[in-house]
Amino acid sequence: MKNLFDFIIKHSSWFVFLFFAAMSCLLLFQNNPYQHSIYLTSANAVSSSIYGLFNNVTSYFHLRGINEDLQERNAMLENEVVSLRNEINNYKMLVPDTNAVPKEYQNFDFVIAHVISNSISQPYNYVTINRGEADGILPEMGVVDQNGVVGIVNVVGKHSARIISLLNPNLRLSCKVKNSDFFGSLVWDCLSPQYAVLEELPRHVEFANGDTIITSGYSTVFPEGLIVGTIEGKMPTNDDNFYTLKIKLTTDFSRLSTVRVIRNSMKEELVALEAADYNSKDKGGRK
Amino acid sequence: MSKTVLQFATLFVGMLLAQLICNRICLFGVAVPIVFIYFIIRLPMNLSVNWVMCLSFMLGLFVDIFENTQGMNALSATLLAAGRKTVFSLYFPREDDLGNPVPSIRSLGLAVYVKYMATSVLLYCVAVFLIQSFSLGHIGITFLRIISSSILTVLILLGFDSIATTRRREKRL
Repeated sequence: MKNLFDFIIKHSSWFVFLFFAAMSCLLLFQNNPYQHSIYLTSANAVSSSIYGLFNNVTSYFHLRGINEDLQERNAMLENEVVSLRNEINNYKMLVPDTNAVPKEYQNFDFVIAHVISNSISQPYNYVTINRGEADGILPEMGVVDQNGVVGIVNVVGKHSARIISLLNPNLRLSCKVKNSDFFGSLVWDCLSPQYAVLEELPRHVEFANGDTIITSGYSTVFPEGLIVGTIEGKMPTNDDNFYTLKIKLTTDFSRLSTVRVIRNSMKEELVALEAADYNSKDKGGRK
Repeated sequence: MSKTVLQFATLFVGMLLAQLICNRICLFGVAVPIVFIYFIIRLPMNLSVNWVMCLSFMLGLFVDIFENTQGMNALSATLLAAGRKTVFSLYFPREDDLGNPVPSIRSLGLAVYVKYMATSVLLYCVAVFLIQSFSLGHIGITFLRIISSSILTVLILLGFDSIATTRRREKRL
């Protein structure tokens, strides 16, 4: 015991140093978020690589059990498919299918994405999502959320994409009043993130405040009928032939989280067709 | 004895206040004067290393509290306190020859004192800026900060010394 005390007293400066260093490190990592994050990340890298190593070895031992489970589940699902198919056939015989998806919507499918950055206070706003080229996202795809239209994909990275928000005067969206075929173009006036302006709507269109504004479908970006907003009222205009309407947007841009990117399987075909049409007109003009 | 304690207590508080002012200086966006370590450099050489570490840790901690950098200066000051004697013996191997235990231009001579001070300041700057950046990712800018801050600090500390020497002369006159 005496030797122990002698040892401690002899090397007391080392113990004092270690004590103060430990105290400082404790303060450093507890109270400074930057150092804390680096410490945690490196620690995680070490621990995760060790876990990964263990997992690489042990996962082989469970393969037999997992395989049996999968076989059982597969058999169960196959049975279910067969029984459901029979059930559908029975119903088809009883009544005609009234709940089928309209053909024009079948061209479109969706990619779910999460918003990772969003602005509403700038004059030109953009939204960034966590899906990119690797997930099949391409420029000029439409983006919607559960409430309505969000914008159009502008720049695509490997695993992220930038969307021109509807709150950006560079984006003009072709829209129409629901249950009518006359369309106008919707643009943001840089004022409130809740309102936009529908311009160039012909004078003879009948509407009432509160009517729904939907996409016109006159592009390859959005299908027809997606809700954009509701009519809030008329706005003063200099043009006698057209109305300018104030539209309350249904999309809440301040709370965007999950969005859907619309993929149009017919897009290439339509674009090629339009280009061919344009070329033939051009040639005709020259003649 | 009590006079020396009082002197160092004043120096402790004075350096802390001086550091609070110097915290607002950042020359060319890189050079920050770290003047409070003057207290650690000036502590008597015959003072036990445990005491030196204790006082340095406390001073560093106070600076940290005011700067909101909990632990950074405390750890660096403790490191400097632990390495102080080694640095001193590099330039002044025969400690017994030291008349006055307080390191100063008068007791060590200008050359040895400046070398001792510059090495201590450099040691501190290396410690504090490495802890601050905490990675070798921006080693270039960290290196620039270390060098520029060390030079600025040494110049200011020599200024402190010249003020102290002038005062002493005036007193004598």
